[in-house]
Amino acid sequence: MMRAKAILRNPPLLTFLLVALVWLIAGLSLRGFGAYGHLRYLLELAAVIGIAAAGQTLVVLMGGIDLSVGAVITVTAILLPLLSPAWDPTGLVGVALVLAIAVGIGLLNGAGATFLQVPPIIMTLAMATFLQGMLVLVAGGSAVTVQNPAVLLLGQSRPLGVPAGVVLWILVSACMLLLIHRMPIGARFLALGANPLAARLSGVSTTRNTLILYALSGFFAGLAGLLLLGMNRQGYVGIGDPYLLTSIAAVVLGGTSILGGRGTYAGTIPGAILLVTTTALITVVNASPGWRSIMFGSLILALLMISGREARR
Amino acid sequence: MNRASSSGLYGAIQRRRNRGLVGLYLVVAAFLVLYAVLFPGILTIGGFSKFTQNWFPLALVTMAQALLMLNGGITLAIGPLVSLGAVIAATTMGSAFGVPGGILAVVAVGLGIGAVTGAIVALLRLPAIIVTLAGSFIITGVALILLPRPGGFVPGWLSTLLAGHTPVAFLLLLVILGLWKIFLATPLGLAIYAAGDNPVGAFRSGVPIERVKIVSFALSGVLAALAGLFVAAQTGSGDPIIGAPFTLNSIAAAVLGGVGFLGGKGTMRGAVCGSLLLSVMINVMFFLGFPPVAQYVAQGLIIVGAVAVPAHLALWRAAR
Repeated sequence: MMRAKAILRNPPLLTFLLVALVWLIAGLSLRGFGAYGHLRYLLELAAVIGIAAAGQTLVVLMGGIDLSVGAVITVTAILLPLLSPAWDPTGLVGVALVLAIAVGIGLLNGAGATFLQVPPIIMTLAMATFLQGMLVLVAGGSAVTVQNPAVLLLGQSRPLGVPAGVVLWILVSACMLLLIHRMPIGARFLALGANPLAARLSGVSTTRNTLILYALSGFFAGLAGLLLLGMNRQGYVGIGDPYLLTSIAAVVLGGTSILGGRGTYAGTIPGAILLVTTTALITVVNASPGWRSIMFGSLILALLMISGREARR
Repeated sequence: MNRASSSGLYGAIQRRRNRGLVGLYLVVAAFLVLYAVLFPGILTIGGFSKFTQNWFPLALVTMAQALLMLNGGITLAIGPLVSLGAVIAATTMGSAFGVPGGILAVVAVGLGIGAVTGAIVALLRLPAIIVTLAGSFIITGVALILLPRPGGFVPGWLSTLLAGHTPVAFLLLLVILGLWKIFLATPLGLAIYAAGDNPVGAFRSGVPIERVKIVSFALSGVLAALAGLFVAAQTGSGDPIIGAPFTLNSIAAAVLGGVGFLGGKGTMRGAVCGSLLLSVMINVMFFLGFPPVAQYVAQGLIIVGAVAVPAHLALWRAAR
């Protein structure tokens, strides 16, 4: 009884159990769902959401929100083929350049939020609008095909049968968990999210941490963009759009409070898998786009009622 | 005595609320003058009507958004609600229901969806931003089922009445603003501000917080659905995804108008002014020959500037 209560109070574990339950039921009732190849494919899709949601988790933990995640993914996916120099056989120069741009965009977001005093939701929204225009001006409207070997390796290779994207996600997860729970900076993020005033009075620098936070969010979104590009082989305007709302949904389904200060990346991981699984299930049902949209919305709402409740104010 | 002190308090609160707005009024006036210079046609009745008709739906959705933000909430379901309103208008008005039935259906659906969303947020204590995010998928789905592709029918006379060469849309906006002013004078209207500014204090003073939240979501739903009805009349048909840009624009316009995210901060007149600024801005950039994508770039910069400058002025004033 006590144990059952402890599970109910632990959102990450609850979300994990929910994923296991859904996979078990779907695997038994739908032919082909439980096949190793299909589950591996689901994890590969979840990796993009999970990595994009890594930055979002940090931002939400500190009480902000990053609405430029989708735009940054699109920026990296479109700029990488344009910025990869031909003389570089590994493609790592292009990767470094594009990730630097993603971090730069994040830093600009952070600078706007601290120095200009613009609320994060508006700053990142304006940034997304701005990037949307800049992209079309810079790259035109057409799709670009990726030749960069490093990115293709990331998106296509399977060392020991595990997709490289999933390996990358495991690495990102390990770093995130260390950063949030074992490093001083994670404690500072949580403190600023829980009570900004108290944190500031205890000597935690808002400016510095906000800048680092949004730079990290930009970095992870850029990483997700590279992975998506490698899996897709093509970048186009709008490729990152679906990942904005799913990154927020994954964070919230994982039990992280949208008000900041409470939560963990350990919840975001099953949150991302759960989102991908529900999308896959809805596709299996073979409904019209309207019904699919209704089912997706209702599922998020239902999952939210189970795992995402806010404390009574 | 009592009366004088309470009116003094009222005056002080209004002065505090108006403080940031003077700059906004000046910017809007400057843009309007620029617009009139670039496009003198706005000074004729027909030009004025067309201009206000472009602004009207944005003004309505901004009011819908500001209403919730003043109450400490937010909605990401504005765009889908506009689409659904347009779809319902276009599918019911051609049938046996006729125009009055269609208008009633649009209002009822907006009210119902808003009230259900509000009930979920208020009674189950879920974060509004996520509930409305999930709701936006559901509402989009319903609109797509009712009308899978653009079509439907809106009577020609209704289109001419609302979106013809007469400033009916502007008069309707004035009526809606007047109704809002009257609503604010009722205990429920006052409670929207009170519950947004200090929920605990308002609750202890006997404000039914949950009911206020449900009412504000319901009213917001009606405004967004009515914006959809107007868009349907403007285009003469329904389109299940026509409302998409309104979600972000409504937030941007409300914030431009000085409405805060934490509730209780800002005014409806500021929000409406913000929507006017956004609308004029888009029109001016169009007449200056900006390519559509450059408009996105400029819009991003202007929104950041419009929020950053007043915030810094306030800091500077406080430091002095």
